This record gives sequence, C-alpha cells and structure tokens, in this order.
Amino acid sequence: MDSKLCITALVALLLSVPAAADEITVYTSYEEDEAARFLELAKKDMPDLEVNMLRLSTGELAARIIAEKANPQHDVIWGFAASTIVTPQIEETLEAYRPKGIDAVPKEFRAADDKWFAVTGYMAAFCVNDERLEKLGLEKPTSWKDLLDPKYKGEIVMPNPASSGTGYIQVSSLLQMMGEDEGWAFLEKLDKNVAQYIKSGSKPCHAASAGEFAVGASYDMRAIKNIEEGYPISMVTPAEGSGNELEANALVATSNNKEAAKRFLDWTVTKTAADAYLEWKAIVTIPGGTMPQRFLDAGLPQDTNSVLHPTDFKAAAEDRKDIIATWQEKFER
Amino acid sequence: MSGAARTAARRGERRSLPALTSDRGIALLLSAIMAGLMLVFLVMPVAAILLRSLDTQAGPGLGNFTATFADPRFWDLLVNSLTVSLLSSTLAVGLAYLYAYALQRSNVPLKPLLRIVVMMPLFAPSLVQAQGLLLLLGRNGAFNRFLGFDLDIYGFWGVALANTLYTFPYAFLILSAALAVADARVYESATMLGARPGRIFRTVTLPATRYGIAAAVFVTFSLSVTDFGNAIVIGGNFSVLATEIYNKVIGQGQFALGAVIGVVLLAPAIVSKLLEKRISSRQQAQMTDKSVPLTTRANRMRDLVLSGYCYAVMIVFLAIPGIVATASFVKLWPYNMAFSLKHYAFDVQNGTEPLWNSVYVALATAGLGVTIATVSAIVVQKFRTPLSGPLSFLAILPSSIPGMVLGLGYVLAFNNPANPLNMMYGTLALIIFLYVYYNHAQAFLIASTSLKQISSSFDEASTMLGGGVVRTFFKVTLPLLWPTLLGVGVFFFMRAMVSLSAVIFLITPETQVAAVSVLQLADRGAVNQAAAFSMCIMAIVIACLLIVRLVLWLAGAKSVTLIR
Repeated sequence: MDSKLCITALVALLLSVPAAADEITVYTSYEEDEAARFLELAKKDMPDLEVNMLRLSTGELAARIIAEKANPQHDVIWGFAASTIVTPQIEETLEAYRPKGIDAVPKEFRAADDKWFAVTGYMAAFCVNDERLEKLGLEKPTSWKDLLDPKYKGEIVMPNPASSGTGYIQVSSLLQMMGEDEGWAFLEKLDKNVAQYIKSGSKPCHAASAGEFAVGASYDMRAIKNIEEGYPISMVTPAEGSGNELEANALVATSNNKEAAKRFLDWTVTKTAADAYLEWKAIVTIPGGTMPQRFLDAGLPQDTNSVLHPTDFKAAAEDRKDIIATWQEKFER
Repeated sequence: MSGAARTAARRGERRSLPALTSDRGIALLLSAIMAGLMLVFLVMPVAAILLRSLDTQAGPGLGNFTATFADPRFWDLLVNSLTVSLLSSTLAVGLAYLYAYALQRSNVPLKPLLRIVVMMPLFAPSLVQAQGLLLLLGRNGAFNRFLGFDLDIYGFWGVALANTLYTFPYAFLILSAALAVADARVYESATMLGARPGRIFRTVTLPATRYGIAAAVFVTFSLSVTDFGNAIVIGGNFSVLATEIYNKVIGQGQFALGAVIGVVLLAPAIVSKLLEKRISSRQQAQMTDKSVPLTTRANRMRDLVLSGYCYAVMIVFLAIPGIVATASFVKLWPYNMAFSLKHYAFDVQNGTEPLWNSVYVALATAGLGVTIATVSAIVVQKFRTPLSGPLSFLAILPSSIPGMVLGLGYVLAFNNPANPLNMMYGTLALIIFLYVYYNHAQAFLIASTSLKQISSSFDEASTMLGGGVVRTFFKVTLPLLWPTLLGVGVFFFMRAMVSLSAVIFLITPETQVAAVSVLQLADRGAVNQAAAFSMCIMAIVIACLLIVRLVLWLAGAKSVTLIR
C-alpha cells in the first residue's frame, strides 16, 4: 500500500511542466564544450527562444532517436554525423527544409532533397605521442603508408569502424582512394601492426595521449584539444589525404513547434554561427573564414582542402553496411 | 520454505481460520501489487525490446536468431563471455567469502573501515574503476612507468581482474548477510563432539550459508556477463557478448540483433531459477526461537592471519580510487605532477547541479527500492500465493539484463502515446523506477538471504498469539531484519548515484544526473575533470553514509552497521 501511495505522490511531484510556445528541444552530438558555446551565442541572438539541448555521442544519440521513433521528443538534430543521419530509420523522421541563407553552404554539403545540411565537419588525424616515440626510438609517421613499417607493431590503435563513425571514415577513405582490392590489401597489412581496434573515435587519441600506445588514429579536433590540455602529442594528417565526415543539421517532421525549430536552423547558417564554428572546427563548409592560430600551431594548413581526401559522401553512406560487414569478417576478433 | 515450515503453516491454517482469511487477503493483495509493478516497470520494457529480436526485413520471425547462431563469431564470443565470467565470479565469491567471514566471525581490528573500503567500486562511477586500473597497470601505468615493470593489462586477464574487483562488493554484501547470524549451540555441540575448526567450517558454516553462496555466484556471474564497460576499456581486442550488444545497438543502430544477444544473456537467470529449489530446500534457518547468537571467541593466530588478508584486500581496493584521486589533483598525470585544483572548476553543462539532482534521485530510489525489494522478498519467501513462483523469477531477472538494453526497453515502452503511463516519460520519476528495477535482483537477494536465516517458528509463534501477517512483520520480522534493510537502502542509494548505461536513454535536458556529467566530460577529453567529478560523487556518497550513521548513533542504535 505504502509503495502505491509513494508512486502516486512521486508521479504527481515529478511530472514536467508542458513546453512553452517558443521552446524547442535540440539533440546534438557536438562535443559538450563546443555545443555549450554555440548555444550561448544562439541564445544571445534569439533571447525569446528557449532551447533545451541534449548532448550524446553519435552512436548513443542514433540509438535514442530510433528508440523514440514512436513519439519523437526533439524538434531539431544539430551537428550529427551525416553518414548516420542517412540511415533510413533516422532519415524518415526528417522533414525537408531550406533555411534562410542556406545558399552560403555549398551544394555538395546539403542533401539533394533538403532533408539535412552540414555546416561543419571533421577529418581523420593521428595523435602521436612524442614522448613514447622518443623512448622507443621511433620516427614520427607522416602517412598511412608509414604505419605499415614493422617497427610500429603493437604501437598503433585505431577505432573500430563497426561502432565508430571516425573509424568508418578512415577505412572508407582508404578504400575510396586506393580502390577496393588494393584498399583491403592495405588494411590487411596495417592490421599486423594494430594493437587494438577501440570502440570509439576519440579513445585512440586518449590512449596515445596517456602514453599507452605511440599512435592513435583519431580525428582533428580531438588531437588539437589534447595538445591544448598539455599532453606530449602532436597531430599528423596522413599524407595520402584525410578521410572526412560532415556534421548535419535537420528539422524533425514531428516537431510541434516548427516555426521556432526553423528559426534555430536559420541561425545555424548565419555569420555569427559560422564565426563561432571557426573557433572550434577545422572544417566549416561556409567559405570565407580564417582559421584560428591555435589550429595552425597544432599543424593544420590555412586551407584544409589541401590535406583532405575529396570524399564521395554519397558512396560512403551507401557502402557503409557492406564495408563494415567485410571489415568485421576480416579483422574483428 | 522448508518442509517443516510448510506443515507448520498448514497447522496454523486449521487453528485460526478467521485471522488467516484476512492474512491470505493481505498476502494476495501485496503479491498482486508487486506483480503489477513488475509487469509495468520490468516485463513491459523487456518485452518491448525483446519483440525487436523478432523484427526481420521479411516480417516477424526467427531470422535474427538463426543468423546470429550461424555466425561462428557468436560462439567465440559466447565462450569468451562464459570463461571470463566464470573465472571472475569464482574469484570474487571465494575472496569475498573469506573477507566476510573475517568480518563476521573473527576479531579483526578496524571492521567499519574494512567494510566501507571494499564498497568503493559501488560508489564510484564505473569510469573510476577502469581508469584506475589503467593508471596503475596500463602500458604507461604507474607500475610500468615508475617502478620499471613490463605489464600489459589488455585482454582476457585484465577483464577477469576488473570484473572480479567490480563484483566483489556485491558478493560481499550477500555473503556478509549470510554469515551475520549463526546459532552458537550448533558450534558448541560440534566442538564438544571433538570436531576441529576446519571440519566445523566444512560441516556447519558452509552448509548454513549455501543459499548466500549460490546467490552470490549468480549475481557476480550475471554482472560480469552483462557488463560491457570493463571489457570495452580493458579488453582491447578481447570481445564478449555484452560488447557485441554495444557494437550492434550503439555502433550500428541494429536493435534486433542486439536484442537477440540480450535474449541469450537471460539464460543465467533461467538456470539459477531452475537450481534455486534444490539449493533452498537444503537451507535451514539459522535464527530459531531457541537460538543463541554466536559470539566470536579470542583466537590470536586466526585473527592475525585474517587481518593480514583483509588489509591486503583493502590496499587493492584503496589503490584504484586512490590513484584516480591523485590524478585529479595534479596538473597532468603522468607528465606534470604539480598540485593543481584546476580539474575541480567544473565547466560542464549545468555545472554541479546534476550532483544535487542525483542526490534527490538516489534518496527516492533508496526509499522506494527498499520498500519494493523487501516486500518482494517477503512475498516470495514467507507468503505462499500462486504468484510466488513467477515473482521469484522476475525478481532476479534484472541482473541478466544489460543496463543499455533495459534503458532502451524503457524508451520503447514508455515513450509510446498508447501507454497510459506515457506522461512519466522524460520525468525523474521514471528514472527512479528504472534504478529500482535495474538493481532489483541484488537487493532482493540480500533481503532474501537475511529472511531465510530467520526461522518461520517466529512467524508461527506470532500467528498462534493472534498476530496477523502485518503485525508479525512489524513486531517480529522487521526488528530482526532492519539492519539488513538499511544496507539495502544504502545499496540502492549508491547505485542510483553512479550507474550510467541504463539511464543514458532517459535523461532529458532538464533531468540530467551526475553520472551523465562524468560521461560528458570524459567524452570531450577532459578525463581528469571527469575523475574530479567522480571524486565529488564519491565524497557525497561517503558523506551520506556518515550522516545516516550519525543519525542511527543519535537514535541509540550504536551497534548497527550500515553495510553488514
């Protein structure tokens, strides 16, 4: 009996207040510190808009969006891996929308049916622990090909493409640039040197930063942030060209407050937003910005296009299932 | 219930029919309430996710199962899961039994400290455990870097070690409850008959704690088999079924294939349910109306040996959070060891507010959890209703469900407009229920272990004197049981402060809890800030334990321990 009373009381006590008119819920996979900064600026520009933001990693957020499909709780998806947003289970929850000022974003970074657009992105990069290299008497690798050298055996960690988007872009970019046969042959040689395939895109960089391994294949911003934290690592963008991924924004079809959601999406392509992105992101698709000094210090060139491998995003998304299946068959233990 | 008790119950039935009719009513009503709650907050979510395992592209069917079982990788992972879990479960139960024995049956000094230290893995977020092990035993860990060892923790042995440490406190809680009560007369007669201590242990102590050992083996095994946190961080390329669920669900959004493995993981609960009758039927109650509580005799040699063992275990359990705490207080472990408080300036979303959310959630979980788990245990162990069988199975089922699977089940079940309880979605109330049922099995087994030690002759006496079940509970059972229940409450509180994997799918921007802040910080690379945040969570848990202790002490209950 007690428990029943208890439950009724709890339910009554804890039910949340219904959403106000200009209140939206945004799901994002931007890292927590980036998202907090962007949101602060958005609130300054739209003081009357209440934005509730939930931040989860790409995989966790994807699982949640799919699970919530019967009754979606969010109005906007913001900064979410493009190769995941095109999963049919997620794509069918979206509604086409062309934000005001979308023309600032070049066509190749937008879905043909306008269901999503990407203003930012990230690219593959190695985190190399200089202290460990020195201890082991190794030279700094500069390319994927360097990593085939047997002297790196057991000192390389990579993300598992089956559970990490970063891992997937690394594998798919190698396959795209070398072609299927040569690409898989290359990955097989690389596999002999890889100590672990870690189930997250940022952990290989953390492992290298902590000095557990000499080289962690990861992505650009993770490397830059860990350098700023003070870890004795440097960032290497592979000489063959870095695979890259877009971070997409989209309107959710079931939103109860579409006007407000659209206002928010409009904001994500404004000059203010673009300037803020530039502070945190090495890839900003709106042209014309300058890269901050700290990125250059970490080793990025002013024009990121010079280190990027020109990715076929459409093919990367379409081939995902097959590539992961083949990869698991070959390399997953 | 033993055969004797059943006959006694039948005898009682004949004696006072009117009282029993109402007793029967209360028993049925309580059973029904417990069953109803389990139906809503356990069966429904689990069913929702398991239905997904039948979802195939060609419509509902067993296609996912046949596909999974045809994959040789699945069988490799199954073997990995079984071997690593069997090993860590055996180690955890063996080590915890000796530890609990030392605390309950010998004069080891500093018992309160020894009790709290081995609970550490329970009241720190799981990140601390994995991070601590890496900082100590990793390739660049303290042993290798500063002491010149050449250890490589990644792989099978690392996971076995991590899971042993992680499940030790659960085994300890159950075994400690089992060893807490004993009848001195049995030991006296054994001694008088000339039995040596070793023989007494084998023929008296071990059989008397059989149910506790079985419960501890089941709990530790299930925890190891369903945990993916340790395996992901420390396993390296050593994968298990739980990490495969993570791969499928989080990595690829394939709920159906994840759910198939979820179904496989339910096996331990089913096996233990099948074995339970055999084990319970041989278990006799320790506390009967004629019992004389066992007092520990002086034996310096025994105390010396057991003290050495206990302190060695304590050092291991202190070292892990200790090194994480140290890392949180230096500029950049292990490169710059200058003292710094910079990791304690929490610049994460909502700052320290989630900490207070968590305290509130944890207190509510403790209150609700203790009530639900105790009533379930009484309903199953003391009442005989048609619902007892199904309830006893459902009560232990949660330990076979990975948190991630249960959390997703909650989303599928409660975020459905057709569900009348849909309004609970997005509230802290639902998170509280999730915590209660996620941790139900362990709490239920602790309470049951204690209940089984109390002879039904107490109930009979009370019934003969005209006391109904309710009166018997408050006048007889509760006074004997309440120290254990306090422990169960503390257990729920600790779990609700730190568990993450289940709740990650239920948090909203307004209902952020502390463990999620730790994850946010770790995700964005602020590992030491995450460690610092974990230290604050641990500090709060310890502070709460001390406050409850103080309240008890002021209330006059000086000899009661929070953790038995």
